[in-house]
Amino acid sequence: VIEVVAVAGVVLVQDGGRPGRMHEGVPPGGPLVPELLARANAAVSNRPGEAGLEIFGSVTLAARRGLELAADDGVSRRLATGDTWRLACGRSRVRYAAVRGAIAVPEVLGGRGTLLVAGLGGHEGRVLRAGDLLPVGDVTEHRAAAIPIPSADESIQIVPGPDGKRFGAAALDVLLGSEYRVSARSDRVGLRLVGPALDRADGDDGLSAPMVRGAIQVPSCGEPIVLGPDHPTMGGYPVIATVVTSSIGALMLRAPGSVVRFARVAFTPFVTKARGGGI
Amino acid sequence: VPVAIEAFGDAALRIAMPAGTHASRLLDALRTVAGVVDAVVAERHAVVTFEPGLPPSGVSEAVERAAVAANPFRTPEEHVVSVVYDGEDLAAVAARVGLSTADVVKLHVAPSYDVVAVGFLPGFAYLRGLDARLVTPRRSTPRSRVPPCAVAVAGPYTGVYPLASPGGWNLIGTATGFTPFSPSSGATLALGDRVRFVESGGRGAP
Repeated sequence: VIEVVAVAGVVLVQDGGRPGRMHEGVPPGGPLVPELLARANAAVSNRPGEAGLEIFGSVTLAARRGLELAADDGVSRRLATGDTWRLACGRSRVRYAAVRGAIAVPEVLGGRGTLLVAGLGGHEGRVLRAGDLLPVGDVTEHRAAAIPIPSADESIQIVPGPDGKRFGAAALDVLLGSEYRVSARSDRVGLRLVGPALDRADGDDGLSAPMVRGAIQVPSCGEPIVLGPDHPTMGGYPVIATVVTSSIGALMLRAPGSVVRFARVAFTPFVTKARGGGI
Repeated sequence: VPVAIEAFGDAALRIAMPAGTHASRLLDALRTVAGVVDAVVAERHAVVTFEPGLPPSGVSEAVERAAVAANPFRTPEEHVVSVVYDGEDLAAVAARVGLSTADVVKLHVAPSYDVVAVGFLPGFAYLRGLDARLVTPRRSTPRSRVPPCAVAVAGPYTGVYPLASPGGWNLIGTATGFTPFSPSSGATLALGDRVRFVESGGRGAP
């Protein structure tokens, strides 16, 4: 058992997510920066998506019995009974901690992560507080390849669309040619960007469409929102482009004020056909 | 039937729904395609997600199969939901559409509604079938907190908020004895289900 001794900011139990429930309105969930949870897990021989702590701020943990912990720096440390350990974000937006054996909160709807909007999963469906006790699971042995820390400087790769026709002719060029900054009003639902507005060609017609993580939605004010792991499964704003999976972590780890530049994806994700038969 | 499918990033496809397709049929067809992780069907589009860069084969065949199916996937489940018509916007909705609050209630309990989409929030069902006389725009300023089980109308839709959340629909009542979403079993209303509202009394009653 791990005891939460002190919390500043928001600290959540998160795991690899809750796949297969989007048709019920349940978002996919999962870590904001999958690579960093995987790094922390790898350092204590857990699988990449096992439940750990997602930290926006800082947390101090105490061992109720001997255990092995790691942060996303990939370094593990042993704590004897009564030892404490603090992990703080500093200038990072988010950090991760893992414990050997993983945090063994109950599985809810196929995942152990916290979904705040529904108050489910994680520890009692809520953010952690001082005094919480987190169960630790049985130790497994999983050897993982080294996972690099995503770059906070690289251009974020996007696939244009699928709502390109609902924007002015220059909107995609503006998105690709401008510098945006991460807004402080960002969370696990969406990362808001501050920068040049993207010109919409139509109003909101009120018909919602299914959404995915990484979709760049543009409300009528023109400032983009990149959907995060706890995004609404449907939304009414048009999507000018979608961030590819390999760039999600590199975008989501950026702290408020950080610069974001977009680039058209350098590979063809796959060929789609306008007629049946191919896919 | 030509099927329009486009990339939605590198881990999803978006499908334009062929006219006349039963949504529940399409959802079932897409969810059973090998390699599909998630499938969501709304009114105009459906989306499937999968491992990045590995679109499942069989998506367009599934769409074609669903498009020619004559019947829904299963017999629609009928739900009867009791409502106390005490919503904060009931009087404003009545004034806007030029009816008494009693008539708004009468028109709201009359139809049998269809679940045409599930999403936005866990367990939130978009219900079609609202009487044309009750069509009102969303509130110009969304509420920062709509209480759970609030019954609301906006545009051609009505629905029940499953959880406390921000929301822009007009609140006309409160569902009683109905749980739209539960962490143990998920969403109560599914695509293609039917919903009727009955008045359980309260301030909005005649």
